[in-house]
Amino acid sequence: MGLIRGTSYFIFYNYVKRNIKIGFPFLANAKVRIIGPGTVSIGKGCIVLKNQFKGLTIITFSRNAKVIIGDKCALGGTTIRSFGIVKIGNKAMTAISLIQDSFYMNCDKIGEEIKRRIPPSKNISLGTNVWLGEGSFVMNGSEIGDDSVLSSGSWCYDASYHDYVLIMGNPARSVMPIDKLLRLKGEI
Amino acid sequence: MREFLARMRGSIFIFTCKIARKNVKIARGLRIYKKLKVTGKGSIEIGENCRVCGIKGDSSQYVCLETLSPTAVMRIGNNVSLYAARIAAKYQIVIGDDVLIEEAGIMDTDFHSIARDRGIPLSEKGDKCRVVVGNRVCIGARSSILKGTTIGDDVIVAPGSIVTMSVKSGYMVAGNPAKALAHE
Repeated sequence: MGLIRGTSYFIFYNYVKRNIKIGFPFLANAKVRIIGPGTVSIGKGCIVLKNQFKGLTIITFSRNAKVIIGDKCALGGTTIRSFGIVKIGNKAMTAISLIQDSFYMNCDKIGEEIKRRIPPSKNISLGTNVWLGEGSFVMNGSEIGDDSVLSSGSWCYDASYHDYVLIMGNPARSVMPIDKLLRLKGEI
Repeated sequence: MREFLARMRGSIFIFTCKIARKNVKIARGLRIYKKLKVTGKGSIEIGENCRVCGIKGDSSQYVCLETLSPTAVMRIGNNVSLYAARIAAKYQIVIGDDVLIEEAGIMDTDFHSIARDRGIPLSEKGDKCRVVVGNRVCIGARSSILKGTTIGDDVIVAPGSIVTMSVKSGYMVAGNPAKALAHE
């Protein structure tokens, strides 16, 4: 069932809309919405799961915006809103999370003085095999290394994190390398 | 065309409020791009040239203004843009001019007591729970502003923050509970 729905999304987005590319085995168990003038590319073998029936939402707000998602990702109810470049590596797992590379999406009507003080939009890059927990926020300028885990409810902004660490908190900080954590728990 | 439809929808909403609802007072120039829901018997005042929009890509969210008691007062200033904001007032909520609210919630009550029966909270009083938002404030997506907070002028509230304490003017706050990131 997911394969049929995914294939219909694959045909619609690849052949009707020119700026979007989806790799072939694409399984969609929930709704997929891709809106905006920017370019979007999704790798082969991705799955969209129904976390609270929200599906995958990708919105690009400018022509320069780029969203690149790697192969074999499991995407839950993720929302991606971008002005710049958002990169997600292969085999990433995401639950209901918000990836947003600017503070405000509709700030063209507000005054000039406060507009100058709002932090500018920055690119986001997530490594391979990253796990984003439920209700997590990834804001502008955050870089997460390979194999890392972002805990649920955490909020990271303008910081880079090493490979294979556990990241927690609002605002987020890297708590411990996962090697050490597993040794403390006695799992290795 | 979209602008024209929004202005038409706004003027129709103002006209129906003048006839059917005496407690809702809206000044000129309201533009409704997506659904606006107003409920309750308290008094609601909206200033000039306000914009009511939804969030792009999520059709299930819309602007909701709710008053929970007949004595509740909600006052929204001029040139305010509301993007899928949810505001619930039981006592008093005052929002200033040139404010941007994106997908956030503002409420001045906890709705339930923390006692076992989860009844009406008896310790809440009108002047303590009042929420005041100053001029030129930006409030980000998925953040919420709780009872008894006063936000000054020119404040930036980052997305995903929970504001529980008062914020002085000129600060940028983020986190849960919200703390100052930078000050000019």
